[in-house]
Amino acid sequence: MKKRSISLTVNGTVHDLEVPVHRTLLQVLREDLDQVETKYGCGTGECGACTVLVDGEKAILGCLTLAASMDGKSITTVAGLEKDGQLHPVQEAFIEEHAIQCGYCTPGMVCKSVSILAKNPKPSEEEIRHNLEGNICRCTGYVKIVQAVQRASERI
Amino acid sequence: MSDFKVIGQRVPKVDARRKVTGHQEYADDLRMPGMLYGKIVRCMEYAHAKVTKLDLSQAAKAPGVVKVLGPKDVTQKGYNSGVLDLMVPEPVGQMLGDIEDQLVFTDHVKFQGDAIAGIIATSEEAAERAAELIQVEYEPLPVYLTAEEAKKPDAVQFTPLKPGNLAFALPIQMFPDGAAYAWGDSEAGFAEADLIVEETFTLPKVKQCQMEPHTYVARYGDGGRLNCWTSTQMPKCIHNKLARLFELPMSRVHVIQTTVGGGFGCRLGMIAEPQVCAMAMAVQGKPVKVSLLREEDWLGSESRHPGKYKMKIGFKKDGTPISMDAHWISEGGGYYTHASGVQFTLGAWLAGTYKWTNFRFKGDRYYTNTTPCGAYRGYGNPQNNFAMEQLIDRALNQLGIDKVEWRKKWHKTVGDDGWCMGVTYASCGLDECLDKGAKAIGWEDKIKKYAKQTGSKRRGVGVAVMTHTSGAMPMLLEHTTCTVKINEDATAELIFSCSDLGTGAHTSLQQIGAETLGFPLEDVHVRAQDSDISGFDIGAHASRTLYVGGSAVIEACEDAKRQILERAATALEANQDDLVMENKKVFVKGSPDKSIDVATICYQGVYNWVMPDTGNWIGIPGQIQGYSSYFAKHNSPPWSACFVEVEVDTETGQVKVLDCVAASDVGKAIHPPSVEGQVEGGIQQGFGQSCMEAMIYDEKGLCLNNTFADYRMFGPSDMPKITNILVEEHDPFGPYGAKSAGEGGQVAPTGAIANAIYNALGIQFTEGPITPERILKAIKEKGLQA
Repeated sequence: MKKRSISLTVNGTVHDLEVPVHRTLLQVLREDLDQVETKYGCGTGECGACTVLVDGEKAILGCLTLAASMDGKSITTVAGLEKDGQLHPVQEAFIEEHAIQCGYCTPGMVCKSVSILAKNPKPSEEEIRHNLEGNICRCTGYVKIVQAVQRASERI
Repeated sequence: MSDFKVIGQRVPKVDARRKVTGHQEYADDLRMPGMLYGKIVRCMEYAHAKVTKLDLSQAAKAPGVVKVLGPKDVTQKGYNSGVLDLMVPEPVGQMLGDIEDQLVFTDHVKFQGDAIAGIIATSEEAAERAAELIQVEYEPLPVYLTAEEAKKPDAVQFTPLKPGNLAFALPIQMFPDGAAYAWGDSEAGFAEADLIVEETFTLPKVKQCQMEPHTYVARYGDGGRLNCWTSTQMPKCIHNKLARLFELPMSRVHVIQTTVGGGFGCRLGMIAEPQVCAMAMAVQGKPVKVSLLREEDWLGSESRHPGKYKMKIGFKKDGTPISMDAHWISEGGGYYTHASGVQFTLGAWLAGTYKWTNFRFKGDRYYTNTTPCGAYRGYGNPQNNFAMEQLIDRALNQLGIDKVEWRKKWHKTVGDDGWCMGVTYASCGLDECLDKGAKAIGWEDKIKKYAKQTGSKRRGVGVAVMTHTSGAMPMLLEHTTCTVKINEDATAELIFSCSDLGTGAHTSLQQIGAETLGFPLEDVHVRAQDSDISGFDIGAHASRTLYVGGSAVIEACEDAKRQILERAATALEANQDDLVMENKKVFVKGSPDKSIDVATICYQGVYNWVMPDTGNWIGIPGQIQGYSSYFAKHNSPPWSACFVEVEVDTETGQVKVLDCVAASDVGKAIHPPSVEGQVEGGIQQGFGQSCMEAMIYDEKGLCLNNTFADYRMFGPSDMPKITNILVEEHDPFGPYGAKSAGEGGQVAPTGAIANAIYNALGIQFTEGPITPERILKAIKEKGLQA
């Protein structure tokens, strides 16, 4: 089994790892680093539950990303958005708008929302909806999630 | 009732912060020392076959493998993943004829994805690699995908207990009138009718698509105890069923609920708990985790019931609904599961909506070689809505009667028989729902405006209404227990078994607890995770958690409050009836200075000594705990009306939903954002069932779309603007006047969107989902209305 040495920063902590080349970022996060806040939903890049941020603003899918390709990168998971007990504005907005039901899509949905606002802090509703395609929520009908991104946009 | 302090407030949900930071723990997040990983080996090549050879020896030798299990290595007892057998009295159970036809691992594969063996290894990857080394040979059997095929005389029998592969039909012992749920004489009704319309509708097989795949951990150890961590909707039923299956006393079975990552019925009863527990019992002392892959979850867990719905309805010229005759024939999949339940409730809700003078319903369910059908939000009601609401609109078009006005005139209401004859409706706000909904969507204007259209894009508006239930009384057991434990600092723990599927149920129950006790919300904590701690609850199904659970919480909290007041009366030397409890103080009415802190009473209840100088206790000793073992007294049906406006592109067949208004009578909205969330999520699922979603099988019974890429759902850009109107018609039986909100949200949108498309094109679609392909085909065949 071919392995590669990588240096991966997760939520500010540097990890030097030996990873099999076929191992996904999601597997490394959940199984090797025990950071289970990022979820498995489909394993094939269709649901967005495993969305994390690269360099704090670009959303990628942990299940489709080989960990070996992330050498030297900085990953932020939903747990890393909270700083010293202070929630990220997107997290606050998700709570305030009641945009969370079962919560399983939430870590990915929050990370995706952060990436949307990083690209454009004042997106239109249509842009928000368009950019959320790829992150499936089966509980909310997306209504309150879209409202949460709008609310967060007013604070960023 | 506007003097509520906590109820009706838009407080943050109890679990919101944990979920938004990723700290909420789901089953797949569990880590335990020495954990092993199980893989359920499923037959993916055939939908119907006999296993003629199963050689596990190579797999057993693979790196990391701890144990392999075939059908003979586990209990030979059968089970039924459904739970209806626990919910009805024995004589009723005998009439319904539920059977236990599932085995942990089978050698007769009845659908693609049926479990044939298990592998336990030191890692998930090792278990998966070993599964590839299993040598299995099959003798293919004929595949039956429809009721017509399954009931042929020479068809292979799924079980000798159900001849003709007829899993269930309404029993003649229960319905002597031709095994039909009926009143009046439907044939005589049709003879009197001025207009009769009839149609056969085809309902698709749709999937709950909960975001968290089924995942479990089980460990057999701790002195012979079977522990099972599961995100089930029904922990206490699972507790009973696992004890029965593995022949253990219930005291040796421990069910720990993990966070439910979406339910919608897919975790109702047992799913893979039998396989996981069987694996754990084979490697005693070691925890075994089984995480289903998405594509495996899709096939291996239950779906909604698809089927053919023959429906005939008759009207007088003035719109009087004189007769209804309906026959539902379902293709229920490879095992019995919920055969009796869904076929029964379909008829019940069909009967419960409108005032048919004569009514007749029959419901059958056949075995087929597809994923077994079980519970999915609405439990038969969305199927009704798609068929009945469309057929009524067809008749109303011919009669020239307005669709809103007709529904207002002919829906059942207070005093009428509900979905179960003999239990009458106690509240109904449907007229207000229809009035407010019609106004919000601009019904009258749009109906006129869209009557004559030209061009390639056609618009339409549609309406549908529904009534549902709050719990399943009197048909099924409706029992929830609750203990409220008052701590010595006058804070409280509410202990019960109801799962929160993400609906906000625990938040609402916390609000009810705080309101009843008169405590601040933050002083009431909800605990519902452990069969060792919690008492009985039938489970989160039938839209009952808030309705029945809320009443149990009220009763338990009132019990605790009564004890506090009794002690206060003694301390204050006052009559209990003269006491008022407010802001955690008890005082004598009119004498606010004569008071005692609730915290003092609670503290003395816990910390108490006989004082050496007086020989007396300080106050009254004994920790205050309230308890309720609550049996629901009614089923307080909720009501709703859904209005949808669509634009259909007649060149591409695409349907764009422009607007949606949902007006829902849920009684008192305990936690309004949770109610809104249920309505909004229900719309996404209802639209999906009517316009996009269907599990598709090839002729061999192999599923062609068991992934999110191939099974399309309404996404964020597909969803319209939603106007969410809550009509809070107080219900005399509901906790603080509340009725259910969870399941009902999906029902009316299914019919409303179909009726909007009908209104836009003048073509009615009898086969769901109404895909662009079907729209184009129909336009080509039938042409557009003028």
